[in-house]
Amino acid sequence: MVQVEGLTKLYGEFTAVSELAFSLQPGEVLGLVGPNGAGKTTTLRCLAGIIPPTRGTVQVGGHDVVRDAIAAKKQLAFFTDEPRLFDYLTVWQHLNFIARIYQVADYERIGRELLTELEIADKRDALPGELSRGMKQKLAIACGLLHSPRVIYFDEPLTGLDPLGIRRMKDSILKRAREGAAIIISSHLLHLVEEICSRILILKNGRKIADGTLDEITRKFSEQPGDANLEEIFFRATSETSAGASPPPLPH
Amino acid sequence: MVSALLYLQYHTFRNRLVSRFKRLKQPKYLIGAIVGALYFYWYFFRYLFRGYANGRQPGANLAFPPEQLLLFELSGALVLFVIVLLAWIIPHERAALTFTEAEVAFLFPAPVTRRTLIHFKLLRSQLRILFSVLLLTLFSSRFGGNAWIHALGWWLILSTLNLHFLGSAFARTLLLDRGISNRLRRFLVLGLAGVMVAGVWIWARQTVPELNSARITDLGSALDYLQRVLTAGPALYLLFPFRLVVRPFLAPDAMTFLGALIPALLLFLLHYVWVIYSDVAFEEASVEASQKLAVRIAAVRAGNWQGAKKNQKAKRPWFSLAASGPSATAFLWKNLIGVGQVFSPRLWIALIVIVMVLCFSLGRGGLNQNLSVVVEIVIAIALSYSLLLGPQILRLDFRHDLPLADVLKTFPLRGWQIALGEILAPVAVLAVFQWFLLVIEAGLLLYLPGLERTLLLAIAFGAVFMLPVLDVLLLLIPNAAVLLFPSWIQTGKDSPRGVEATGQRLIFALGQLLALVVALLPAAGVFAVIFFLLNFTVGPAAAIMPASLAGAVVLAVEAGFGVMVLGKLFERFDVTEEPGG
Repeated sequence: MVQVEGLTKLYGEFTAVSELAFSLQPGEVLGLVGPNGAGKTTTLRCLAGIIPPTRGTVQVGGHDVVRDAIAAKKQLAFFTDEPRLFDYLTVWQHLNFIARIYQVADYERIGRELLTELEIADKRDALPGELSRGMKQKLAIACGLLHSPRVIYFDEPLTGLDPLGIRRMKDSILKRAREGAAIIISSHLLHLVEEICSRILILKNGRKIADGTLDEITRKFSEQPGDANLEEIFFRATSETSAGASPPPLPH
Repeated sequence: MVSALLYLQYHTFRNRLVSRFKRLKQPKYLIGAIVGALYFYWYFFRYLFRGYANGRQPGANLAFPPEQLLLFELSGALVLFVIVLLAWIIPHERAALTFTEAEVAFLFPAPVTRRTLIHFKLLRSQLRILFSVLLLTLFSSRFGGNAWIHALGWWLILSTLNLHFLGSAFARTLLLDRGISNRLRRFLVLGLAGVMVAGVWIWARQTVPELNSARITDLGSALDYLQRVLTAGPALYLLFPFRLVVRPFLAPDAMTFLGALIPALLLFLLHYVWVIYSDVAFEEASVEASQKLAVRIAAVRAGNWQGAKKNQKAKRPWFSLAASGPSATAFLWKNLIGVGQVFSPRLWIALIVIVMVLCFSLGRGGLNQNLSVVVEIVIAIALSYSLLLGPQILRLDFRHDLPLADVLKTFPLRGWQIALGEILAPVAVLAVFQWFLLVIEAGLLLYLPGLERTLLLAIAFGAVFMLPVLDVLLLLIPNAAVLLFPSWIQTGKDSPRGVEATGQRLIFALGQLLALVVALLPAAGVFAVIFFLLNFTVGPAAAIMPASLAGAVVLAVEAGFGVMVLGKLFERFDVTEEPGG
């Protein structure tokens, strides 16, 4: 569903992403993790066709996101960490607008269902300025899911959500995966990645340093199988020194 | 504690200045700074060094006769009186010193007394006041007088007003705390003002010859009457404190200034004591005001002036949007909602009714030809300004949506579709406004005998086709500029400010003018050829219409090409570039 080959993004002389390659099948949930500045957001933006890669190709559902952008973009949705909304459109007007952009004929039924699922049906006529951070996030998600995308990218999807919202978001992501969507989640919340991702890709300085299931990555970075959780693995994988580095001590 | 606040103020100012100088390393800011500096010198400063166009030397005293000076003083005092009166009538909120969110977060929980916070606020407001004083002095010095006297005079006026606003806000809050509602306060203040005005009116009726309608028509007589009413009797004394504030500014020389300065300073100090010793709790309201301010600043910086308004309300769409159809219509639908209540259908209906009534009454009333000619000229000016200023005012296009460029780029649309959609709303609003003016113009032409009525109607008819296409071209230019030079145009993030930003805007305006001239040349050529060919056979009026249509077609082709180019520019636009520069 998603095929990435030799993806490289340069900003002048700075390499944000370097020779990244991976593929994602329908129903898979890929966790994209890495320290700040690892290139996670740049990678997602390249995958969504927001910024063109300097080198390499990205295919979504068999369509190149640069050469066949329209067909590729019809199949995907991208949720940024900060909900990006039009401040003068109400909740329902957002759905109406997006329906026209993606030509979703049955948008009224789908929109109503989404608003109910996301528990913002009562905010139908509210402007983004009247919504809490979490509700804005939910509205952005409703807009993104309106056209039933087959590929979904999340950049820090749990930011600003309350515990119930977090639970619902996790359920919603897994539900879409079960329905056959290929999902990529970029997050610093390692427990979230550990909990819902079927695969993990660790980036550091724009380069892939690990890609596989949690078990595969654990085997790669642990002396003994099962001796560490993802947090431990993350510190080992992203540490400057070789395996064995430990996270900073907690204050007493 | 005050020293810490001074430190904060000083370093905030200094760091802002340093960052401005640092960015001059970038050529776009350096060029902008040079052009901006030349502009400010040319427009203001050269008068300070080289004298005035009318031969007056810098620092020369203004030689007004005493009666005229008194009239100026009283007029200034009257303006101050009205401002102060409004400050007591209009506001309804509790006193709130507006701090930034960072100041609220750091200063309010800190062991800082309320009085220190007021001092901090006063100190900070001085920066704003001093900047205003500089601009006002540069402006008022163009008319002569001593720049230092003007500067100190402006400072006294603005600082005293600033203190009065603060003091009145505290007093209003105290009144609210003591059970005197806003409505009762307004009633009392208006009652007091009414008594004062009534006193002046009664005195004027008894003393000064009555002002009748014949005198109103003569401006000189009306001013003479005003002078008589203000320079004698109760008005002279009622406006006394306000005159004290204005007097130093109007002083013709240093000695008179010093004489006027002492009472003005005393009044200023009285205000200061009033503010400092007002023990009013403002913290809670200040926190709320600071949050609102932050939201409004964010909205303005995002180019959303509607969002900056208080109590933004959801607006109905102008038409219903089906799920299928051209995607550009979706942007038109969206941006028309954003255009807001200012351009609501209700306003258009009201305008149409007003114009119909106007035209009907002009027709019935035996026609006031002079008035019709005046209205025609006003409409012609309004049409010109709609072309010049309309595209700058109506910014619900890429200039507004650029902060959401990453969202727009995820849409499965070609660049030209998004580009076309983005400029449709401002074009639609401008075109409807211009057509509306043309309808009025055509309506008035029917009442004007002795003119080349047919020719003028033909011009209006041609304009119906030309103007919307011209609007498209005029809107394409700033939209292309914002995609090419995002740092130069106000978009979503911090817009550039300062001398260099002024210079950038000037360069941009010149570039825009040049691009427009280049775009107009082919259409003007086609228009001229067809007009001159037909003029000899069918006459000018009949020639204008086909010539205008042909010109509009050329412009439309250019506009279509421009939309394609704009679309390409958007496709190539890098969202990681900082619009704020």
